[in-house]
Amino acid sequence: MTEFKITNDQFNIAYYCTRHQCFSGNAQKTALKWISHNGERREYTFEQLDEESNRYANVLQEIGIRKGDIVFTFLPKMPEQFFAFLGILKIQAVAGTLFSNFGEEALTDRLGDCGAKAVITKKSLLKKLLRSLPFLEKLETIFVVDDMENNEKVVGLPALLAKASGTFDILPTAPDTPSVLHYTSGSTGKPKGVQHVHKSLLTQSYTSLHVLNLNEKDLYWCTADQGWVTGTSYGIIGPWSTGVTQLHYGGAYNAEIWMRILEDEKITKWYTAPTALRMLMREDKNLFKKFTLPDLEYIFSVGEPLNPEINTWAQQTLNKEVYDTWFQTETGSIMICNRPGIKIKPGSMGKPIDIISAAIIADNGEHCRTGETGHLCIKVPWDSMLINYLNNTDAYNAKIKNGYYYTGDLAFRDDEGYYHFVGRNDDVINTAGHLISPFEVESTLLEIPEIAESAVIGAPDELLFEKVVAFIRLKNNVTWSDDLELKIRIFLSNRLSSIATPQDIRIIEEIPKNKSGKIMRRVLKAWYKGEDPGDISTIEI
Amino acid sequence: MDTFEELNAIFCKVFYDDDIKITRESTSDDIDGWDSLSHLNLVVAVEKHFNIKFSDAEIAKWKNVGEMYDSLVLLIQNKNQ
Repeated sequence: MTEFKITNDQFNIAYYCTRHQCFSGNAQKTALKWISHNGERREYTFEQLDEESNRYANVLQEIGIRKGDIVFTFLPKMPEQFFAFLGILKIQAVAGTLFSNFGEEALTDRLGDCGAKAVITKKSLLKKLLRSLPFLEKLETIFVVDDMENNEKVVGLPALLAKASGTFDILPTAPDTPSVLHYTSGSTGKPKGVQHVHKSLLTQSYTSLHVLNLNEKDLYWCTADQGWVTGTSYGIIGPWSTGVTQLHYGGAYNAEIWMRILEDEKITKWYTAPTALRMLMREDKNLFKKFTLPDLEYIFSVGEPLNPEINTWAQQTLNKEVYDTWFQTETGSIMICNRPGIKIKPGSMGKPIDIISAAIIADNGEHCRTGETGHLCIKVPWDSMLINYLNNTDAYNAKIKNGYYYTGDLAFRDDEGYYHFVGRNDDVINTAGHLISPFEVESTLLEIPEIAESAVIGAPDELLFEKVVAFIRLKNNVTWSDDLELKIRIFLSNRLSSIATPQDIRIIEEIPKNKSGKIMRRVLKAWYKGEDPGDISTIEI
Repeated sequence: MDTFEELNAIFCKVFYDDDIKITRESTSDDIDGWDSLSHLNLVVAVEKHFNIKFSDAEIAKWKNVGEMYDSLVLLIQNKNQ
């Protein structure tokens, strides 16, 4: 595979994913193989991907979307998701993606914060958006990909797309032009908008070639949803900017279907998550005897630490290694990884990629010695790093110190140069690879009339890595019941998302707080795990 | 309201969508928001509404709404005997 190169100072991500591929001899090569949950198949060449995304670009431009405007997709994994994403980038608008499982509160927070001008969705998801609409003053248009009806702000896309031209001239795009926007959860405050720029594709294509080892013969499958950074960096940008054919499956996790896709479609590189692999580990072993995967060269994982047992299982059951990779929404692309060409060290994060510099830094700012735990940091800048948190430069500045980006992870480096994840230095919960803000869950819990106070923590979980656990103080006249528990679960699932819904809800008489009123999650975690909470002298109960 | 209609009403409540029209062939891919986590909410809501309890083995076998409905009807019949 040849190295990725920028031509004519054009940095537009969508250009390299489509038009450039046509110029490079890939016009008739399959770019996307899509299989729906019920087996419907659609395939698009790079030329068709270019034309379809051009139609989206033309429609958006026609309706008044301009460079710098923010347009979100709120779609499941379907071809229109990819056309829309690339179309947005072609007109140099900012492409945001929303996880299709988000509820109305999650939508309102994100779309409201960034002042999105338009959202592209499908009919069945429209209701959630319409419930948020009264709170979204700047949202001018909701495009619906599968509906012909138009009303005040809702516009059916099929008729517009049918009339739109399949050609579009992508204007020269400077490297620092804002491109992709993802929201990520912090331990305090609402989710933060992580803003990337078009030159991110330099690191995304580099890691696609040198970590995922993608080449022109591959059929590559990334199972991540496009609502998250893996889904855009490695489910769109990395593979297509390097001319690689991708398969996307529109259905949910199903062990038999996944194995059949791997075998029948002859997937060569597979990028998935430790939780998915742990779910496969729990399946009946006989399932795997039905399948052989001679075409599958490499499995990669991302999202949570990969426990060594998964590698052992993969070697014994699939006869494959699993390469763990580490990155964040803020880093935009893989930074540290186990990868083909270096020895896998099970349980470790691997080694930094060649084009960045990582460090372990102590609280006092000095670099830690081998084996010492400290803050995992990446030397700035690199091409795929965030340029800011939207509307929250203070939060961005707080993460950049002395030329390093502080990731919020604690880690150590061993004597062979491998990095090892130790934990977070904040209260963000990583459940099944999704970051959950305890603050966001606590705030939503307080909207339930029966709840007086709430505190949310992450607790270790064998399947999910961490599970969401809520501590609740009920109002005086309220009695805990199964009905109330169900009401809470349904409320959270629909207002935020099912992944943010607590796996365990505990009723307590007081939430432990310090003298300034801050919830002492450390104490709750210790209580939950049956451990000594340590110094509790500052608790105000 | 027959049992299937009552089941439909529970789907509407759990997934905040009054327009859901389940069929025997409906699966989690047909209803937005129906994933492995919200499935637990659905199961508990059905159990509470009909005052029955599904076994883990039953739940694991369901491939679509029809199979869930068949389990439900059997449990209701057993309860009423």
